Amino acid sequence: MRLKKIKIGAKLYILLCFLFFYLPIAVTMFFSFNSSKSLTNFTGFSMQWYGKLISDQNILAAVYVSISIAIFSTIISTVLGTITAIGLSKSRRLLKEWLLNINNVPIMNPDIVTAISLMILFSSAGLQRGYITMLLAHIVFCTPFVITSVYPKVRSMDSNLPNAAMDLGATPYQALTKVVVPLLKPGIFAGMLLAFTMSLDDFIVSYFVTGNGVSNISILVYNMTKRINPTINALSTLLILVVALGLIAMNLWPLIKEKKKNRPSLSGKVMRKRSSRKRDKIVFWSVTATITVIAVVCAAQFSAISNKQTLRVFNGGEYMDMNLVADFEEKYDCKVVYETYDSNESMYTKLESGSTYDILVPSDYMIERLIDEKYLKKIDWSKITRKNAILSNLKDNEYDPGCKYSVPYYWGNVGIVYNKNIVDKKDLQQGWNILRNTKYKNQIYMYDSERDSFMIALKSLGYSMNTKDRGKLKEAYNWLIEQKDAMNPVYVGDDVMDNMISGSKAMAVVYSGDAAYIINENKNMDYFVPSEGTNEWADAMVLTKYCRNTDLAYKFMDFFLDSEVSKVNTRYIGYDNSVKSTFEYFRDVEYKGNSGCAPDSSNPANEVFHYQPRKTKEYISNLWTKVKSN
Amino acid sequence: MKHFKGLAYPYVVWSFVLIALPLLLIVLYSVTRGDNSLITIHFTLDNFRKIGDPVYLDVFIKSFEIGLIVTGICLVLAYPMAYIISMFDDEVQGILILIVTIPMWINTLLRTYAWISLLSDNGLVSQLLGFFGIEVPEMMYTNFAVIIGLVCDLLPFMVIPIHTSLTKMDYSLVEAAKDLGANNLQTFKKVILKLSVPGIINGVTLVFLCSISSFVVPVLLGGRQYMLIGNLIENQFISIGNWNFGSAISMLLAIAILLIMSLMRRVDTEEKGAEE
Repeated sequence: MRLKKIKIGAKLYILLCFLFFYLPIAVTMFFSFNSSKSLTNFTGFSMQWYGKLISDQNILAAVYVSISIAIFSTIISTVLGTITAIGLSKSRRLLKEWLLNINNVPIMNPDIVTAISLMILFSSAGLQRGYITMLLAHIVFCTPFVITSVYPKVRSMDSNLPNAAMDLGATPYQALTKVVVPLLKPGIFAGMLLAFTMSLDDFIVSYFVTGNGVSNISILVYNMTKRINPTINALSTLLILVVALGLIAMNLWPLIKEKKKNRPSLSGKVMRKRSSRKRDKIVFWSVTATITVIAVVCAAQFSAISNKQTLRVFNGGEYMDMNLVADFEEKYDCKVVYETYDSNESMYTKLESGSTYDILVPSDYMIERLIDEKYLKKIDWSKITRKNAILSNLKDNEYDPGCKYSVPYYWGNVGIVYNKNIVDKKDLQQGWNILRNTKYKNQIYMYDSERDSFMIALKSLGYSMNTKDRGKLKEAYNWLIEQKDAMNPVYVGDDVMDNMISGSKAMAVVYSGDAAYIINENKNMDYFVPSEGTNEWADAMVLTKYCRNTDLAYKFMDFFLDSEVSKVNTRYIGYDNSVKSTFEYFRDVEYKGNSGCAPDSSNPANEVFHYQPRKTKEYISNLWTKVKSN
Repeated sequence: MKHFKGLAYPYVVWSFVLIALPLLLIVLYSVTRGDNSLITIHFTLDNFRKIGDPVYLDVFIKSFEIGLIVTGICLVLAYPMAYIISMFDDEVQGILILIVTIPMWINTLLRTYAWISLLSDNGLVSQLLGFFGIEVPEMMYTNFAVIIGLVCDLLPFMVIPIHTSLTKMDYSLVEAAKDLGANNLQTFKKVILKLSVPGIINGVTLVFLCSISSFVVPVLLGGRQYMLIGNLIENQFISIGNWNFGSAISMLLAIAILLIMSLMRRVDTEEKGAEE
């Protein structure tokens, strides 16, 4: 109460700022009650996402990881940071400067650099990645924040006070806990809050240092982007409510208590002191209790895992119905450690940095590369009882002739999904060049994939999409640059799906399976594949050379070739399945008439990607960076 | 207090193993070439030469531009906010600061997603303004969207340090200034603003650093063609797999940031020197 009156204008300003802060959160809450999957179109009220949330084991596990990591890393980094800050003020100048400077590094460094550097460290130290490495990494970036908020308080503290306490007979430990720490309380509290926030909100660092199926909320959401659904909104609505209620309770409870106590007693001050001491005790014990409970649950979880046989699966985000994985676990009494990646390249980076898995689900060109680099084990087809269920044309492919190393999973091609009401049917004759038809300027989404973008340009120019010829690649680059200048397209990732479902633009380059999904949600959309040819891709399950339990791995592969299982799985994924009966069922019944389903693969101009030599890949990557940032 | 000297030693070991060592690895990567393994080392400066390419320089320039704009907007919005908050009762202040922090507890990715549904072509903002007959230009995948997203994301990092420095301020100095005949504006300029400089510097540094290296917000709100340094680094490490070039960019970024930091610190100490 420094100034007597705070002007109405000032209050209004604060209110407006808060409104701005809370606008996205309000929207998040609002869409958690949406009856459809869209995050941009509100179609009606529904509680279904809350029901899904409660039954979703993955989300619950991620919540548990996020919160427990946040709590542990906050506690550890607060203790570590506080004692360091106290010790630092008395250290020699040289040590102090070194420490303060190095302490700034995690704060200053972009998260991505911290993440990469820790990943390199953990992998060269041979540490098994998972919960522990994630916790360590969080402590690494949280502690500096504690130190920077506690250290100024230590400096401004009167150092005579602890000395006086010790002169009066206190042990150093007593002086520390009874004098120093209470004096630093505001700084410690601020640091703690910051550490907790940082830990809870972190994405990039966790993403790189985790492994073995341990993922937090951020990683889960990142891998969900393809088919983001309001379950996550329901989750954040609940989180917000818990946090808000907790804070209100924390702030109101002592006030109420004091008021009650003050009334009968005249010596209010003494009482208040006592009650606050009591409160401290209660807080202390409740925190200890929570930690113990978490530790016990944690230990129980880990021991439960160790008793069963395990299978480590590394798959693309949202590329398997998790309920089926749970069914598999139950059927074979095992534990599937399931982890996801967002692209073949990031999967490869993880492998390269020393993570080990039993089963991977890469795409054609990546399988070829993995075979070449001897990452894979040959498939013993006699172990796979349902091998005859697989579509025969998938077996004779170019990336792994005869499927010696891979069990086909899903397949499709690349084409253009377009709005029937806007795009003139006649223009489809132009093939890929429709993407350069200025009639549709500002109406195009390109897919952010250097491979597929160059594929489009090369095909449109009449070249092979696997060319290594620099001259042709340069021509393709010019095609893309000209397209960008003329059409002003937007380059998007998997957010293209929600954007097309809500009809934001007229055309988008997509995978056939994604087109099927979009068309299913928005009937104004249709799909076509230009006649100049396209990328015909296939994803397949492979065994890594590190696979420990091959029998279980074969059972897993076999399980997903079951006609009923693959039907359920396809209903979730929407792509074209490798199992013949399932593929035909969706083509003829469930997705009948949907042009994104069962793409025509008879065009001889269609090709399969091969992996490029390092030099070519780098050349294309640099050109693609240039196209995008031009 | 001498007894507590030893308390800093655990962190010395910790910081060496988990902060300095990983950083040295990055430096090592940036001056070598090879296939992401350290067994066969070839020293080279090619990685740094490559950054001279106009494309990459443009990415750097754009990142710094966005960083400056976002930092500027945050400062202009946050200072009055922190100032007004610091005028409330202590207890109310605590609650207000919590209100500022809570949004940070909701995942950044989710908050950014919410902006998509607000800003997209058929989104809530254009629908609402359309209702009043106002035609809204396309907002998604523009500078505007990225800046809004970043400001909303990073504003708390500006408010909190400034608020801390304002509450730490000895209020008798303000009273003294007023007693000596300074008017409100003079008091603000000569006393309050000066005393809150450390907070401003902390906030500016944090927001600037976070915004130039941000990665999720530009991808989601700016589209994939929106390349900031963070995206470039991620791109090099993940999609292209060129850890050496990625490390070189990170090194250069770290050095640039170090320079800015030391400059800021000099300003800070000069301010303090002038006071004393």
